[in-house]
Amino acid sequence: MKFKASFTDDGISLLDKRFLPAIDKVGRVCHVYLTPTHAMLLHNLLGSTGPEGDGPQCVAQFAKDLLFREYNVSSRDGNRVAFSVDVALLHRAIRSALAVHAQSPADGDAPAAIQVKLVNKQTPGSRSAAPFLTFETKGARSAVVQDVPISKPLSRSDVARLQDALDAAQELPETLVQVPDLQQLQNLVDRLKNIGDLLSVTVTQYGDLHLQVSTSLVTVGSEFKRLRILGARANAPVVDQNVSATIRMEMAVERGEALSVQVSMKHLVKSLQCHLAKPDCTFYGIAPNGACLTVIFQYFIPGTRLTDKSISFYCRLPVLDPGTS
Amino acid sequence: MSSSTTSGQGQGQGDDAPDLVCVADCVHGMVDALSCVRWNKHQGAVVELSEHGIVVTVEESGCLQAKVYLKTELFAEYDYGAEGRPRFGLSLGLLVDCLNMFTVPGFASPVEIRYPGPDMQLLLRSVGSPDACIHAEIRTRIPDTVAWDYHFEHAGNTPVTFTVKSAILKESIDDLEWPGSSIQIHFHPDPPSVIFKGEGHGDLEIEFSYYANTDLLIAFQCDQELSYRYKYKFLRATTSNVPSSVLKENRGSKVTIGRGGMLKIQHLVSVARLGTQSYHNFAGGAQQPSRIAFIEFFVKPEEDD
Repeated sequence: MKFKASFTDDGISLLDKRFLPAIDKVGRVCHVYLTPTHAMLLHNLLGSTGPEGDGPQCVAQFAKDLLFREYNVSSRDGNRVAFSVDVALLHRAIRSALAVHAQSPADGDAPAAIQVKLVNKQTPGSRSAAPFLTFETKGARSAVVQDVPISKPLSRSDVARLQDALDAAQELPETLVQVPDLQQLQNLVDRLKNIGDLLSVTVTQYGDLHLQVSTSLVTVGSEFKRLRILGARANAPVVDQNVSATIRMEMAVERGEALSVQVSMKHLVKSLQCHLAKPDCTFYGIAPNGACLTVIFQYFIPGTRLTDKSISFYCRLPVLDPGTS
Repeated sequence: MSSSTTSGQGQGQGDDAPDLVCVADCVHGMVDALSCVRWNKHQGAVVELSEHGIVVTVEESGCLQAKVYLKTELFAEYDYGAEGRPRFGLSLGLLVDCLNMFTVPGFASPVEIRYPGPDMQLLLRSVGSPDACIHAEIRTRIPDTVAWDYHFEHAGNTPVTFTVKSAILKESIDDLEWPGSSIQIHFHPDPPSVIFKGEGHGDLEIEFSYYANTDLLIAFQCDQELSYRYKYKFLRATTSNVPSSVLKENRGSKVTIGRGGMLKIQHLVSVARLGTQSYHNFAGGAQQPSRIAFIEFFVKPEEDD
């Protein structure tokens, strides 16, 4: 089992400035999954084995060329490697590698790329070798090697489960609506979470997103209308605008033009931390049969409005009540 | 008053006009004012509606009462259609949390408040933007009919009162936490001064002397020596949640002692946001000066053994 690669400048700054801060907020420990074509950071894909239980699934997938040059990964399991790592440690190593790297190089020399590889080594005081992700950085005056401890590589069966979970997540919601301002949504949810722990989310084919918390004493909801729609759409029926949002949503669900699910407020708050990765667009949708609430983050190729297909970033929130399935 | 012109979420209300439909163009000040009287998490409040405005009352242990007066001038629209004065109970915490929903940056839009809903709820909804709407329904209950005895009368011919900068009052009461338990408030007409004295784990005396510093006591009125003791925890509740806007403006809080030692503390909270364009005013006049919510606390003195 081998892995060795050099970071691209864009790739490492993407991890440092955007993805690792977001991934760290979603959960302390994540899986790193490397395949011959992609590198991924994953949360909660193997179910409730981790310390954080059945939190939201979060997938950040990068085409290998976006993050790395000279990317080599090999294993007896179809050249796939997966392990878990403490996100804060990984981020710290990357930040300090960048700091060393930023030392101005001698005239005319381009700085050497930051290298990362998988090693198995014995640390002082321990009897057996342990796996590490090692970062090697050469600055103008110093060279630094950092070892980030990682878990033992995942077994063949666990890697297969990881891949199965990823494949299962490919099923897209029929309708996705674009939330214009994620920060604003976060402000709203920060206040909503004082009111209750369970949130019903409804997405209609008319471009409405409705969030509602109900307890025995209070019902509070927030409705976003006329959002941009991807996928199946329908014309909103002419309904008296004075009919409450709750009733309008129920009617849309009855007509089969909306799906509604209940999710944990805690999960939603966590998934909203993904805005730290500064996506260009965010879409909400409910997977067929109300299987989960899907949040898809989209990135544009810098300077264009074209989707950057080399990044795929999404969250899937487990549904507490199948709702309209 | 005419019945409501803005129809709302009322379903199955028949032709009955709601008791109240009003619109506040910004609820930040209302949240501040209500937070001021929120001294514990699960606190019931009684709301009373009238043609003059909304009064929210909270009470604790038969010793402490607070009232928030939201007068009609604070609302951009105020349509009152009830006969008598409808009263209902609700959870103060929920009311504050729900109003707080409408203060989300970017969502700040006028809020319509309506009572009663189809199931006697208090209904709130944003009415500013057609594309984003926040709505809340708060379950209300029938308030207790037990009469609270907080009747306030001046002790003599002239009221015994002083006005002090709000921040100083809060700081002084916070400092008295150390001796704790019971705090004596002593009015001294000559030389004019007020002394707060705590005796518990130790002694601490804070004296406000009228002549010592002209900035300290803004007003002082007292024609007789008076002294009463109050439980520290109730005294503390009168300033512990005073919103930072009140401390920043530092207008002054008025402290009065009435007959039998009933203590009244009044704060003023600006309800209009500084620098925000005002919607239109119900009263139709210049908006800013009248946009003040009044808060009154009443604390009963400790009984002498």
